[in-house]
Amino acid sequence: MDLEFTELQQELRDTARGVLASACPPSLVRGVFEATAGSEGADALWATVCGLDWPGLGLPEEHGGLGLGVVEVGVLVEELGRVTAPGPYLATVTQFVPAVRAAGSSFRLADVAAGTCTGTLAVAEHGRWAPGVAATRADRVGDGWRLRGTKSHVVDGATADELVVVARGDAGPGLFVVPAAEVVATPVESLDPTVPLATVELADVEVHGERVLVEPGDPASASAIGRALDEATVMMALSTVATCRSIFEATLAYAKDRHQFGRPIGSFQAVKHRLADCFLAVERAGALAWFAVLTVAEDDDRRPLAVAMAKSAAGDCAQLLSRDGLQLHGGIGFTWEHDLHFSLKRAVTGDLLLGGAAFHRARAAELMGLVPGHEGAA
Amino acid sequence: MRLRFDPSVETVRDEFRDWLGANRPAPAEMAADPALSTGHAPDWMRRWTRRMFDAGWLVPGWPPELGGRNAGPVETFVVLEELARARVPRTSNVQGLGIVAPSIVDYGTPEQVRDHAMPILRGEATACLGMSEPGAGSDLASLSTRAVLEGDPGSGEWVIDGQKVWTSGANYADFCFLFCRTEPDAPKHRGISILLVPMDTPGVTVRPLPEIVHPGEPDLNEVFLDSVRVPAANLVGRRGDGWAMANGSLAHERGMVWVNAVMGLEEALEQLVAQAPALLAGMEPAERALAADEIVRIAVDTQAARCLGQRGFAKLARGGSAPEQALMKWYASDCRQQVARVGADVLGAGSLESGGVPNDGHLAVDEPRGTWMEQYFHSFANTISAGTSEIQRNIVAEKVLGLPRG
Repeated sequence: MDLEFTELQQELRDTARGVLASACPPSLVRGVFEATAGSEGADALWATVCGLDWPGLGLPEEHGGLGLGVVEVGVLVEELGRVTAPGPYLATVTQFVPAVRAAGSSFRLADVAAGTCTGTLAVAEHGRWAPGVAATRADRVGDGWRLRGTKSHVVDGATADELVVVARGDAGPGLFVVPAAEVVATPVESLDPTVPLATVELADVEVHGERVLVEPGDPASASAIGRALDEATVMMALSTVATCRSIFEATLAYAKDRHQFGRPIGSFQAVKHRLADCFLAVERAGALAWFAVLTVAEDDDRRPLAVAMAKSAAGDCAQLLSRDGLQLHGGIGFTWEHDLHFSLKRAVTGDLLLGGAAFHRARAAELMGLVPGHEGAA
Repeated sequence: MRLRFDPSVETVRDEFRDWLGANRPAPAEMAADPALSTGHAPDWMRRWTRRMFDAGWLVPGWPPELGGRNAGPVETFVVLEELARARVPRTSNVQGLGIVAPSIVDYGTPEQVRDHAMPILRGEATACLGMSEPGAGSDLASLSTRAVLEGDPGSGEWVIDGQKVWTSGANYADFCFLFCRTEPDAPKHRGISILLVPMDTPGVTVRPLPEIVHPGEPDLNEVFLDSVRVPAANLVGRRGDGWAMANGSLAHERGMVWVNAVMGLEEALEQLVAQAPALLAGMEPAERALAADEIVRIAVDTQAARCLGQRGFAKLARGGSAPEQALMKWYASDCRQQVARVGADVLGAGSLESGGVPNDGHLAVDEPRGTWMEQYFHSFANTISAGTSEIQRNIVAEKVLGLPRG
């Protein structure tokens, strides 16, 4: 196993980091938090991202993409997570696109690559993420399907052009693409405005033809949904760990800079040990996330367990870094004026979306045969 | 970034695996005469180390005359991995092969290489490392065992007085790689030298320290040095450079010391996961869920230890630096302790029964063995020795993160 970037991947990372340093400064993120500048900052960032062809980076050339792979997408996800970038990239590229592709479809991928279509994936209901317990119905009507139900915590749910919905027919779960105009999306006021959430209501929405990605009862259904969710989940893990790394770096710098009792607070062993533990948590979660990315990229059998482990470790990491990052910054980190809270909030958001640490440990326990699994769990 | 190495590396793996299958010591002979300490090399172990040396597999990265084949780091890595997978230690004398012989090769004279390093590599001799003292544990640089040169540096003798403790394998070792203070007036890190001391030299007394588990097979010892005289030529490297040598990079297998620890952890986890379904099936649902969670947590940790090690190794193999490496000793030993603890918890009161697992010789002496609870206690050897987990955190904080010393 080779868990280090190739030279090209390192170059991509360095380029992305350089671009984002000027295209997504903390002042832009603050603008999103304070809504002082409307959505201008985020729009400008998205224009930059599209200008660099990042939405299509991992898409095949036949769909207008750059033909790179899941690992390269992961490189961008890390860099965007690092600066708590707002915008449609996360939901479009790591949720909508994997769902479409896992179904063997190319629906609107060319538009995504061209930067003219955004999307998302609607999985959760009442904050629960197991696709096997989805109550949203899919019922046959003529040559199509009628969807009815309510999805919660949909990233960009009120702004994305297309929503992939997990809904359940009599024969099991399926995947459907619904245009924004067909749903009633209610934005949720949430802690982290860089990852906007919405409740999405489907009131007898009919879908036909290529918008039916995976039919309920299709033998390939479970594996397609599983693959889509795994890719979305591991990318959320990567993004979250990258955010945690920036909390860590900020906290480390603060511990070297801040003096009390005539010396840097980072010279006290109680602080040192916490920072060493934080460093371990970030490296641990990062290594697990990249391993899981590779199992997705190479379609390895270990994927479901690797992803569950990676997301649970990312959750552990987010919990530790949001606690110790804030605690070690002391009062200054508790203020709205300091930028730390952007990454604290992004980290806890990344922990809980697509299932938190405990959810994924429970999933791992099922996959390891330690507890009985529930029917239909993908 | 990918899951598998190049096909050329896998060819080396296949070649070694074939050789290992044909040449490895038989499990029966290992079980009949297991190594009792890291200084003890049973006859089968001596023959086995020699076979590896002759075939160039012992230290693959070294040239053939030193028991290698000039292999690259990735090839060396797969050899170590296959050895650990087969659960056949290269030697019982881990400190001899891992630290003493490489240090002598790096810093010693040709005569020292011939008379001390080569016998270790050929399985003919074992060595112990005389470092810790009653007053110098984590603060090793404050050691006070003293050596005074009588006569001139060419033909004189060092006279050594002092005491070592926690000296692994001293009860069977042929010689000691002894750290002693030779420059009492120099700053403490600059006053330490290394001497080669045959353990049968008059004035050397070894007292084994039976441990809290497996007390019949002590590995740790006190070593008393009372006017011990060795030739001036037994000085390794330059006077006062002992501390620098101890911290010098042992570059031949840099970045791979974690392999055995992680594979031991993986094996322990595998056993736990194999036992778990039967144990969990008898539990009430709430207890079962909590027990499963404990097992999953340590499974995640085990996977993380593997991934961290591989990631750090990949960086080093490309000539970069790898901060992950500084975490491995601390993290892998903590995880090994935890898997034993979880095993004992899941087993319940049954884990209080002791002595049911014989030493079958397939584990290195410093690897936790026995029942889960015995493994748990045994595992403290690795969270305490060679820098406690607390000291490791300090090292990470200061050397990797650049935090100021307190």
